[in-house]
Amino acid sequence: MIPFLTYPLAMVALASVPALAAIYILRNRFRSRQVSSLLLWRFHVQSKSGGAKVHRLQLPLLFFLELLALLLLVVAATGPQWKMPQSARPLIVVLDDSFSMRAASDGVSAQTRAHDFLEKLFRHQPPPSTRLILAGTEPRSLGPTVKSWRELDELLSQWKCWSPDSAIDSAITLAAELGKQQANILVLTDHKPADEKISSQRLEWHAFGLPLDNFAIVNASRTAFGDQDRCLLEIANFSSAVRTTKLAVQTGTNSPETSLVSLGAHESQRLVFNIPSSAPSLRATLESDLLAEDNQVQLLPPIRKRVRVQVELTNENLSALANRTLDATGLRAAISENPELVIHESDTMTSSNSWSLRWQSSGATNAYTGPFIVDNSHPLAEGIALEGVVWAAASMTNAPGDVPVILAGDVPLFSEREDAIGRRQLTLNLNPELSTLPSTPDWPILFWNILQWRISEMPGLKESNARLGAEVNLKTTDETVTVTQPDGGKQFFPKTGGELALETPMPGIYSVAMGVTTNQFSVNALAADESDLSMCATGQWGKWSEDTERRLEETSAVWIFGLLALALLTTHLYLVATAKGGG
Amino acid sequence: MDSAIRQSLRDGEKLGLRYALQIPQVAASGWTGSRSGRRAGSSIDFQDYREYQPGDDLRFIDWGIYARTDRLTVKLFREEVTPHLDLILDGSRSMNLIETAKANAVAQLAALLATAAANAQCTQAVWLSGEGFQRLPNDTLTPSAWDKLDLESKRTPDQSFEILPPKFRRLGVRVLVSDLLWPGEPLQMLRRLRDGAAALFVIQLLSRDDATPPEHGNLRVVDSETGDESEIYIDSSIAKQYAENLTQLQQSWSDACRQCGAHMTTLIAEDLGKSISELEAIQLLVPA
Repeated sequence: MIPFLTYPLAMVALASVPALAAIYILRNRFRSRQVSSLLLWRFHVQSKSGGAKVHRLQLPLLFFLELLALLLLVVAATGPQWKMPQSARPLIVVLDDSFSMRAASDGVSAQTRAHDFLEKLFRHQPPPSTRLILAGTEPRSLGPTVKSWRELDELLSQWKCWSPDSAIDSAITLAAELGKQQANILVLTDHKPADEKISSQRLEWHAFGLPLDNFAIVNASRTAFGDQDRCLLEIANFSSAVRTTKLAVQTGTNSPETSLVSLGAHESQRLVFNIPSSAPSLRATLESDLLAEDNQVQLLPPIRKRVRVQVELTNENLSALANRTLDATGLRAAISENPELVIHESDTMTSSNSWSLRWQSSGATNAYTGPFIVDNSHPLAEGIALEGVVWAAASMTNAPGDVPVILAGDVPLFSEREDAIGRRQLTLNLNPELSTLPSTPDWPILFWNILQWRISEMPGLKESNARLGAEVNLKTTDETVTVTQPDGGKQFFPKTGGELALETPMPGIYSVAMGVTTNQFSVNALAADESDLSMCATGQWGKWSEDTERRLEETSAVWIFGLLALALLTTHLYLVATAKGGG
Repeated sequence: MDSAIRQSLRDGEKLGLRYALQIPQVAASGWTGSRSGRRAGSSIDFQDYREYQPGDDLRFIDWGIYARTDRLTVKLFREEVTPHLDLILDGSRSMNLIETAKANAVAQLAALLATAAANAQCTQAVWLSGEGFQRLPNDTLTPSAWDKLDLESKRTPDQSFEILPPKFRRLGVRVLVSDLLWPGEPLQMLRRLRDGAAALFVIQLLSRDDATPPEHGNLRVVDSETGDESEIYIDSSIAKQYAENLTQLQQSWSDACRQCGAHMTTLIAEDLGKSISELEAIQLLVPA
C-alpha cells in the first residue's frame, strides 16, 4: 500500500484519475431520446469514428492508455524504490597519478584503460559510495564521497597523471583509514604490487600497464658557473636492448644541435656542457616514443642574486677583512646603494630596512678554544666546524631576544635577532686580531652563509628550474601573487608577506607575477622510476571477499515509470493522429 | 383524452372554418345529400329525358310528352349526393412523441380536415388505428365533440389493417394522417386505402425532431412504439445518413402514391399553421 498522504504530488496525480474517468463517463454517457421509430436509425454502414451500436459503456483504448499513464505518474510521484543488487561496501579507489600511466600503446594509455574499467565496474555493480584517492608523491583524497557515476566522472577529470611518483602504499594506508577497514579498496595502476600475494580481503589491485621500451631524460639541470651556465642532461635507455635515439638541443632561438645517443640496455649517459648565461632557455628533446612526457626538458637561466652590502666599519683592518671576505663569496653586488646588509660596529640600528651585522671587536680579549656550541640547524651555521679555532670575544651574556648561533659556554659569539619589522640583526662577537678564525675555512663559510641567508630572504623565486612535483619557493612581498600554469590555469595568492611553496603539478613553464615584476620557472618531468616502463604489467591481484560482493540496495525507479508513461503517451499521440483510438 | 388534445381539436376546428374540402368529381356520388351527384337523382334540377323502363318511378313520367308522342318518357333530375371523407389517423405512439407537438398537430389537422369537409357538405368518418381500425366516438359530430383520440397504440397502421380494416364508404375521399415511420411496403397499404376511394391523400406528419438530423453526441434512441433502444454516437456522417434514410423513406412513399394515384405531402407538426398551404397545393383544401 502506497502511503499517498505522504506524497502530495501523488495525491494530486491520483485525483486526476477519477477526473479522467468522469470525463470519459460523461463523454460516453448516452442522452436518452425517444424517437418515433428506429426505422431511420438503421444504418447500412457504421461510422468508423461513431455510430457503433452499443449496449453498454464503451471506453476507447485511449482512455485506458491515459488511465495507465496517469497511474504510472502517480506511482512515479511516490518515488518508488527498486531493489537492485549493489555492492554492500563503500569503495575507495586508489588512482596511480604518476606520469607512467600516460604511456600509450596503440594510442590507448593505461590511464584510459583504468578509467574504462572503473566505469564498467561502476555500472555493473555500483557501490553505495565511492571515494577517490590520488596516489601521487603523496596520497591525496580527491573530493568528497560520491554516489553516481556522473559525480565520479567529474572527479576523475582531476586525475591528470603528472606526478613523478606514485605513493600507492601510502594511499592504500590512507584508504584503509578513511574506510575504517570496512570499505573495499581498488587500486588502479600500471604495475603489479611489490608483494603479489595480497592478503587483505578488502583490496583489489588492477594493473593496466604494458612493458614498453622507453628513452627518457631522467636528469637535467642548469646552474651558474661563473659567466656561463653549466648544463647537465642525463639520458637513459629503459629497454632490454641497445637503442639509439636522436637528441636535439636548442638554446634560445638558435637552430637545434642534434646528435645521436646510443645506449645499451638499461644504460644511462650524462651530458655536461656549458652555455652562455645570456641564453634565455635551453630545450633538449629526444625522439618521440610511447611516453612523450619524458622526452623533453626546458631549462631556464639560473637565478643570480647578489646582496648590496655597505661596510661601515671604522676599523680599517676590520673593514678590509670584511670587504675581502665579502668579495670572495661572489654573492656581493657591485653597488652598495640602498644596502641590503650593513656591517657596522655601533650599537645603534640603521634606519633603513636593511639587515645589519654588528661586529663587536672592542673589549674582546677573552680567547675561547672550545668547545663551541653551534646551532647546526640555523642557516648561518651551515658548514661551520670551528675545529681548532681560537675565538677571541668579549665576555658577555646573551641579550634578551637574541638567538645564539655559536656559543662558547654561555658567551654568545654569533647571534641574531629579528626586530619588529622583520629586519635581522646579526651580532658577531669577535676580535680577529686575537683569533684564528679568519684564517680558517669557517670564515668565508660564515660570510657566505650570511649573504646566502640574506639572499634567501629577498623577494622572488629561489630557483628557475624544478623537477615535476617539487615545490618551488617564492619569497613574497606584501603584494598579490599570480601564478600562471603551463595549461593557462591561474592561481592567485593574496597579499601576504613570507614564503610561498608553489606546487608543480605539470611540466612546462610557470609564470609568477608579483607586483610589477614577472618571473618564470620551468618544471620538467624527470623521474627515472616513472620513465622505466619495463616493469609495467597488466593483471589483477587480490580479490574482495565474497561476502562483500552484493546486497540488495533500494534504488530510485522513478525514471522507469516516467519512461513507461512517456511511451504510453507517445502511443496515445500516434493513435490520435491516426484515429485508431476508438474515441 | 387530455385537455391539450381537446384544445387542439378546437383550434383545428376553428382553423378549418376557413377551408372547404375540395371534392373531386369522381367523388360526386354517394348517399342522397345536398350536393349534386354525377348521376340522375331526385333533386329538382332537370338533367335529361329517357324512355321509361320498368321499375322507373312513375312519378317522373312526363305525361305531356306521352300525350304528344304516345311514348312513355321519364324526366331525369340531377342526383343530390353527400360526399364523404374518411379520415384515417395513425393512432400509434409515434404520433404522440413526447416533447413534440405531434399529437396536438394530429388532432388539429384532423379537426381542420373534418371542419373543411363539413364546409363542403361532406360526411365524415374518423378512423383511428390501434387494435384494428376503430371509428372515433362522435366522429360525425364537430371535432370538439370527438372522444378518445388517444394515440397510444403499439401497432403500426398496416398491422391494424391486418387486424381489422376500416369500412370505408365507396367513392369517399380518404385522407391518411401518419408519420409513415414503419417498415413495410407502402404500396400495399396504399392500394388498400385507394381501393374504392374517390381520392386518396397521404399527409405525412413529422415532428421537427423526426425531420431534422439530430445533434452530435452520444444518443440512446428509444423506439416510442416498441421500446427498443439503440445507443449511437452521432457525428456528421451519421446525421447525413439519417437524413438520407428519411429522404429514402419519403421517396418510397411518394413513388407508391404516384402509382396509386394518391397525393402526398409532408407537414411539420411544429409548423402546422404555416403548412396549410401545402394542403391546398395537393388540392385537398380550398378556401371556404
